[in-house]
Amino acid sequence: MLLCDFHIHTKYSDGSVELRRTIDLFGQAGFDVITITDHVVNGDSSIGKIAHRFGLSVKADNFDGYISNIRHEAQRAWDKYGMLVIPGVEITKNYVSSDKSAHILIIDIKEFIPACWSYEKIFLEAKQQDALIIACHPHHMSDMSRSTLYLWNNRDKYARYIDAWEVANRDDVFNVISLKKYPYIANSDFHRTRHLYSWKTLLNCEKNTGSVKQCIRHNKGVAITLFRS
Amino acid sequence: MEIFWIFTGITILGLVGYGLQIFAVRSYISHPSLNSGEGDSLPRSFPPISILKPLKGLDDNLFDNLESFCMLDYPEYEIIFSLQDFNDPAYKVARKIKDKYPDRDIAIVVEHCEDGLNPKVNNLIPAYRVAKHQHILISDSNVMVDKYYLREISMPMNEQGVGLVSNLIKGVGGRSIGSILENLHMNSFVMGSVCFLDKFLKMPCVIGKSMLMKKRDIEAIGGLKAYKDVLAEDYMIGKMMQESGKKVVLSSYVINNVNHYWGIIKFINRHTRWGKLRWKIGGIKYLSELIGNTVFMSVLPIMLWEPSKITVSFALLVALLKASGDFYIGRRAASDLNPFFYFLSPLKDIVIGLIWFVPLVSNTVLWRGHRFIIEKDSVLFPCPENGFWSWRYRIANAIREHLA
Repeated sequence: MLLCDFHIHTKYSDGSVELRRTIDLFGQAGFDVITITDHVVNGDSSIGKIAHRFGLSVKADNFDGYISNIRHEAQRAWDKYGMLVIPGVEITKNYVSSDKSAHILIIDIKEFIPACWSYEKIFLEAKQQDALIIACHPHHMSDMSRSTLYLWNNRDKYARYIDAWEVANRDDVFNVISLKKYPYIANSDFHRTRHLYSWKTLLNCEKNTGSVKQCIRHNKGVAITLFRS
Repeated sequence: MEIFWIFTGITILGLVGYGLQIFAVRSYISHPSLNSGEGDSLPRSFPPISILKPLKGLDDNLFDNLESFCMLDYPEYEIIFSLQDFNDPAYKVARKIKDKYPDRDIAIVVEHCEDGLNPKVNNLIPAYRVAKHQHILISDSNVMVDKYYLREISMPMNEQGVGLVSNLIKGVGGRSIGSILENLHMNSFVMGSVCFLDKFLKMPCVIGKSMLMKKRDIEAIGGLKAYKDVLAEDYMIGKMMQESGKKVVLSSYVINNVNHYWGIIKFINRHTRWGKLRWKIGGIKYLSELIGNTVFMSVLPIMLWEPSKITVSFALLVALLKASGDFYIGRRAASDLNPFFYFLSPLKDIVIGLIWFVPLVSNTVLWRGHRFIIEKDSVLFPCPENGFWSWRYRIANAIREHLA
């Protein structure tokens, strides 16, 4: 089984660890597949504007550099640790109300997708790029300020676009995902080194981007584990 | 004022002791073969070595640490990674290393061994059983070495009567406040004390991060199983080796103990545990550590009585001297610590000074998730679940959970 984490932030947005060190941290711990998913924050809300002002978001003008840096590190990680690193982003639609907020992982992204687009447009563009779409922390969290409920509240409308839902995020488990029998994965939402020890995904597939995406989409051979030292 | 002069006297005594420690470190680390492989020019044999690597959990830098042992410049050696169960996250890292170096002689031994209370010895016993070679090197998982390591550590083994060779250790890679404090302490107190004891008191102070021995010598002191219920198995093995008439040699070759992301709690926990075992082993000699903590001794009058110009000036002077001494040892040992971090050295010494008192009132240790009662010579006993001890445990646990 491949030990995977598909939700990792670096200093490109609000993570506290630089990209290279993040890769090394996961590589040193024996991970097989990770995705770097820094925030792409919507600039059309007051919270989003603050994130842009403080450089807590990947933007259109540094997206190419971000992807190229990840690809460079991915090669190093593959050579050194035999670890697959996939580029991604977390589309971050933040509003004051958690009912309106949503975070979406786009895994294996190729072109920049602005977070201020409509949900349909974002999903269709991600599909166009053959990227995976993951609904992040879709239900109430232990830290209420992090809850993002929009996708769950509108699941009838959007579930068909979503390849998998986070059934667990860091320390939280969302039983509603399993009750609805939605496809699932579990991630750390890594921002700090201590977040390494959190919920993870185990995949029973080949260690390449295509197989990993297929495994998550079909959601067979997927398990979750609480990774502890 | 009289009390101040008493503390001043003790502090000066401590500074003299610290000066001797610096001198001892200097004499060891001025060895020409230090981490250079220059010792290779001497005519000598290279006995085949079995490296035992007990693994439990993820140490910082684990992949690189283990990988460094696959790149050693040495004719014949095997590496045995030893774990208690397949679900240990270190198993995956060990597997990756084995797959990456298929031409290296690497074995992974997974066996649940509950022979004793010391989890490290429990981990070592199965590995020791399958070791192929007569020379056994016990090496901790948080150690990183360069390619000359085996050549250097095996060099003293060519001398007659040598039973054990251990190394000087320096802390490297600090990226968090806890790691920086840990590395400061490793590169000052620990390194200084080990060199001082070995040079001036001829007292072996073996640290288990790196110990080379021969199987027959280990068997002669009772085998690894004799140390299964001892917390300081490394120190006791060194002591027994010396008492059996074998020489215990401190190699001047400095190995790296990698500490990247320690929290302050981990730093405090480790040194509380180490303090308790030194108290249980050294007894009244443990007092010398307090006297040797010059910063703490100079600050004590300020903490206990009203600060005055002279007490504060004296404490600042001592702090400056101590930080300078630590900086000197760090440079000597080629430490990677940023020079500015040495300003934290006095703060670290005050924390260590406060920790010094804990062993006097507590004799339980929490190690690798297990709580034990520690007795003379660091012999471990299970911590009972009922009665007085269990209440102490519960209170300590409640405080820890509250802090977390």
